Amino acid sequence: MTLIRFFLGKGGVGKTTSAAAYSVNKALQGKRVLVVSLDPAHNLGDVFDTELGDDPVKLMDNLVAIEVDYDKMIKKHLKELTEKIKDIYGYLKIFNLDKYVDVLKHSPGVEEQASLEKIIEIVRKYGVGDKAFDIIVFDTPPTGLTLRIMALPTISLIWIERLIKLRLAILERRKTISSITGERFEIEIAGRKFKVPISVKEDPIFKELMKLKDEYNWINKRLTDPNTTAAIMVINPETLPVLEAYRAVNFLKKINVPVTHLIVNKVLELDTVPERLRPRIEEQEIALALAREKLPGLEMIKIPYLEREPRGLQMLKRVAEYLSPIP
Amino acid sequence: MVLKKLSDFFDAIVSIFKGRSVEYIEAELRELENVFALIVLGSFIGLPSPPSTISLRLLPYMGRELLVMSRISERLDDMLGEMAGLFDIA
Repeated sequence: MTLIRFFLGKGGVGKTTSAAAYSVNKALQGKRVLVVSLDPAHNLGDVFDTELGDDPVKLMDNLVAIEVDYDKMIKKHLKELTEKIKDIYGYLKIFNLDKYVDVLKHSPGVEEQASLEKIIEIVRKYGVGDKAFDIIVFDTPPTGLTLRIMALPTISLIWIERLIKLRLAILERRKTISSITGERFEIEIAGRKFKVPISVKEDPIFKELMKLKDEYNWINKRLTDPNTTAAIMVINPETLPVLEAYRAVNFLKKINVPVTHLIVNKVLELDTVPERLRPRIEEQEIALALAREKLPGLEMIKIPYLEREPRGLQMLKRVAEYLSPIP
Repeated sequence: MVLKKLSDFFDAIVSIFKGRSVEYIEAELRELENVFALIVLGSFIGLPSPPSTISLRLLPYMGRELLVMSRISERLDDMLGEMAGLFDIA
């Protein structure tokens, strides 16, 4: 089964570099890897020093990359929603009011929903079947948004479960009334009479709820399966990223997303420490000690501060060596 | 003749009981349908609602619930009266 890897962390700590280097590492080992950037900042192309887009681009043997077009993704998601609404309320076109429905794009939660649907689309397209990749690597947006995306299936499932219970209560009462009176329920809407469903088999709302439950259960299982999925936290050896990682790991634990490794990027390793950098090294040691104390369950991997910016395949191959411990 | 009258009498009693019990269940059903509509489409009136995908996927099938919700909202100021009527409280 295709492995899924999420690289998470505070903005600017090196998530993209780590995700890219890990992908190179696995591709060199002969695994077929797809690396996907979900970060609207889009640095993946910059890191590989090549132009990327919505269609897969081959970077080297076994390695393909996609940079999700964020605007296009949100527009596509909204277009589908808006079309549905316009279909239902088609008469709004008569008054030319349909353009007001476009305000949906500003509604809260759209970014998360669109991102989750993109993850589902990618996992379904590239993580299932004969042509599936061995590993799909996601370079994610900064922590806050990523956590909301990953929590969305769990939150949706809570809502769906409640709605299913309520729906069953409604259907049970309809059935009871129908069996006492011996008559079928009917309702008149806009002059037309409709039969009202009284059992789960004929109720479209119940069916739609079950369909939604299946869809969210599927992605939730993929996101929480410790055999195939892992979230990897990326930090710099500073106190603030450590604290943010601690909170993120706790949140991910609550929604059962397995977090396995902690990458500490840009660790200063100097043979002789210049006097003016001494406080910095001391702070680094404090941050590393804090990371060990706060995140004891994660395997720590240190990537040193390199003499050159890790851009392009050659430099990434150097960083890749550090990331071998991540399966 | 007497038996027929007795049978009619008991039929009438049964149908009265049936009518009353159906009335209670119908009132309960209306409220459940109203709550369902309020939960799914609560954002219309500022209530927290499920993620928009769930609401929009259910919306096309919610004709009856929407009708019930709007009828109940029309007589919200006299809900106490309706409940009193249902339980024969004068």
